[in-house]
Amino acid sequence: MKRLRKDRIGPLLEELALQRRIYCPQLLPGGEVVYAEPGLGNLDLDNGKPLISAKAFLMPQVEAIAEFARQEISIITEAEPTLLFGIAPCEMRAIQFVERFMTRDGLSDPHFTSRRRAMIIIVVACKEPRDRFCFCIEANGKPFAESGYDLQMFDLGDFYVVESGSANGDALLSLGLFEEAGPEDARLLEEEKSRTAKIAQINPGMAGALRVLAKENVDEEFWENLAACCLNCGSCVYVCPTCTCYYVTDLTSVKGYTRLRGWDACLHEGFSRETSGHNPRPTPGTRLARRHEHKLKFDVMNFGGSACVGCGRCSLVCPVGLGAIEIISKLNWSFGSIDEGKSDFDIFKKRGKEGWE
Amino acid sequence: MAATFGSGAMTNSIGEMDDADLFFVLGSNTTEQHPLVAARIIQAVQRGARLIVADPRKTQIASLAHVHLRHAVGSDVALVNGLMNIILQNGWEDRAFINGRTENFQALESVVSEYDEERVLSITGLSKKSIVEAAALYAQSPKAMIVYAMGITQHVAGTDNVKSLANLAMVTGHVGRPSSGVNPLRGQNNVQGACDMGALPSVFSGYQAVSDPEAIRCFEEEWAVKGLSPHPGLTATEMVEAIDNGQLKALYVIGENPVVSDPDSQHVYRALKKLELLVVQDIFMSETAELADVILPAASFAEKTGTYTNTERRVQLSRQAIDPLPGVLPDWRIICEVGSRAGYPMHYEDIEEVAAEIARTTPSYAGISYDRLRDSWGIQWPCPDNGHPGTMYLHKEKFAKGRGTFMPAVFVPPEEPPDAEFPYILTTGRVGAHYHTGTISKRTLVLNREVPYPYLEINPEDAKRLRVRTGMKVAVESRRGEISLPVQVTEKVPKGVVFGSFHFNEANVNRLIPRHLDPVSKIPELKHCAVNIRRL
Repeated sequence: MKRLRKDRIGPLLEELALQRRIYCPQLLPGGEVVYAEPGLGNLDLDNGKPLISAKAFLMPQVEAIAEFARQEISIITEAEPTLLFGIAPCEMRAIQFVERFMTRDGLSDPHFTSRRRAMIIIVVACKEPRDRFCFCIEANGKPFAESGYDLQMFDLGDFYVVESGSANGDALLSLGLFEEAGPEDARLLEEEKSRTAKIAQINPGMAGALRVLAKENVDEEFWENLAACCLNCGSCVYVCPTCTCYYVTDLTSVKGYTRLRGWDACLHEGFSRETSGHNPRPTPGTRLARRHEHKLKFDVMNFGGSACVGCGRCSLVCPVGLGAIEIISKLNWSFGSIDEGKSDFDIFKKRGKEGWE
Repeated sequence: MAATFGSGAMTNSIGEMDDADLFFVLGSNTTEQHPLVAARIIQAVQRGARLIVADPRKTQIASLAHVHLRHAVGSDVALVNGLMNIILQNGWEDRAFINGRTENFQALESVVSEYDEERVLSITGLSKKSIVEAAALYAQSPKAMIVYAMGITQHVAGTDNVKSLANLAMVTGHVGRPSSGVNPLRGQNNVQGACDMGALPSVFSGYQAVSDPEAIRCFEEEWAVKGLSPHPGLTATEMVEAIDNGQLKALYVIGENPVVSDPDSQHVYRALKKLELLVVQDIFMSETAELADVILPAASFAEKTGTYTNTERRVQLSRQAIDPLPGVLPDWRIICEVGSRAGYPMHYEDIEEVAAEIARTTPSYAGISYDRLRDSWGIQWPCPDNGHPGTMYLHKEKFAKGRGTFMPAVFVPPEEPPDAEFPYILTTGRVGAHYHTGTISKRTLVLNREVPYPYLEINPEDAKRLRVRTGMKVAVESRRGEISLPVQVTEKVPKGVVFGSFHFNEANVNRLIPRHLDPVSKIPELKHCAVNIRRL
């Protein structure tokens, strides 16, 4: 454990940038927070929740995965050394989840894993919920990361206390910019962890929703009624830090072909349509069910935990109020896990006019 | 709308939808064609607002409506006159508004009185309960917004349809207030801007008539020319006829694909082949560009800086994000180059100089400058001077033309009613995944995969009669031509009506559509065409 004075953040980033490409959350003049290389806007380590999550650095929106030229196939797996600085703890859990998925059953997605191996991650723990859509605690997480990171920084006023989580992290801590931490810092850190573990967040009722879905008593009507408003835009999928469905297409050029893959969304009708034209998920309701059952039911069965990390991006971005918060809450309301009136979040009454802004 | 209110644009802003108590949506497949507007409406409905939708098709927005008026295709004037008749019979009109802010009410009353219940129900095919409920909801809601799109305008009675909606809003006083008004949704990001800039044959920028001597003087001075014509030119649809007649010999098409998008497309194709010179300026090769003598490659939105004026009259700055491809210029530079080489030197240092000229010559844009746009989310016209904040909603204390004029409209049936030979009504439109002739959307993998082929929506009863199932091919034939495409059997369309899109040139419904035009706007009747269908 070490200390880092806040005025050392700038010099630290400069030093790290000598070896790697750095991405960190930055506030742009228009008010958006995005992950970008330092200098585009102002570093924002407190409130930043970039709408496009850090998965974009492990699985870009579109990437070339192979080339075909003159009877030769070459798989593209080059990865540049990168460093994600200041991602939120929920992003860390999402990356761990995706990594487990991409390496399941003894397989390994070479494009993802090469990028992951070339990446160092520095998490900044949350002092407060980053916005009113945060529900990581209900989603079985904490406002600080418990594993996976190389370094994790806790804001304790004028300075950060920095924990290492890996050999790479240990190496970084040996840089001269860090100061030794004392027993008082360790005590403050434990205090901070127990404070933030009980931080007030929105409570859509995740545990209840998981119970409802596990019992398999959610009918098609429930999903069709919800999906009546769904615009099929796929925004919830694109912003989700654990959604990794992709399409594959070949781009022709004079030299040969380049195989591309890019983000896709299970809410699109064409995603599950088969070549014959038959679609096993022909209606918006069946597709909405697919998405949420995948996250909240089948991932629990297959990986021992839901794939929702409680970042709330889908609820933030959905133009018609159909993100995870609303779905989880609605599952509780409709199937009785929460008494009416006790739930935090009645989707259509409490959601304000500025709902997603 | 320009005739009744004095201005033809959305009277409200999109943001005002959050506070409306009622939406009356007509001829708009809002969730697919204006999804962000639809999202506002849906969220307002979730919070308790009421929703009336008038559309022969059961679109997604119609399925969310409290009242869905599934009227006969092209019967809008009868429907709206019928609603006004019910409102007046029940005393639900706003007398103070009618007396204080409008004129010609007597004429309206006398026309509307002819639209009694029996007549309206027989023309529209609706039930008494639904029209009374719709009339009561619309008239009695404190803040009611009419929202409409091409399902209203693309008829021979398109202008009458719009006038009727303006009448309805004035009868009930639902205009000139926040969250109350008449709101045409523009079909493209900048169609409002193009109209504002005078890309219409009868006006200069800001809707200043070409016949107005004062406007002529202003532009002659600005452009240092003499003798600007005071006579309106031709609309796009009239130009095709003029080529056919040999009156028009050269055509310069910018960012349009009329071979696919205009009615009776085989006729358009034949006409364009007759031209002595066809110049097409576009970002991709289109069916029209394939016929061109000269193709001018233009920069895409990401490769240039400029402004767009969206459906709520908001002028927004769009900044260049990437360098243009080699040999490609922004449209305005190409136009200047063509003008200069044709003997009229056009020189602007940059796009800001163009914007400054717009502000100098266009009263509603006078206060809009790049300096102001850079630091804002856009400015809504009218914005008459530099200190003006822009205008959220129109006609606040008085209409743009003073008093609002009731312009009663008489129901005129569509030009080509179904008959024994052509018993079905074809109505046309767009689907959510594609944009117009697909020049852009068919090059986008996920969009093209969403709807890869053309299809024809047909009601289950008609499908049964024709012995077709979803996926089977039919021939659709009109007096203009024939296309073949697979059917999709769906309750979305009523019996006797089929729906197809114009996105796919291989089965383009516009080959079937007649050249009947609205006599005022010259918009073709794309929403109604008699066809016959055969199983293949």
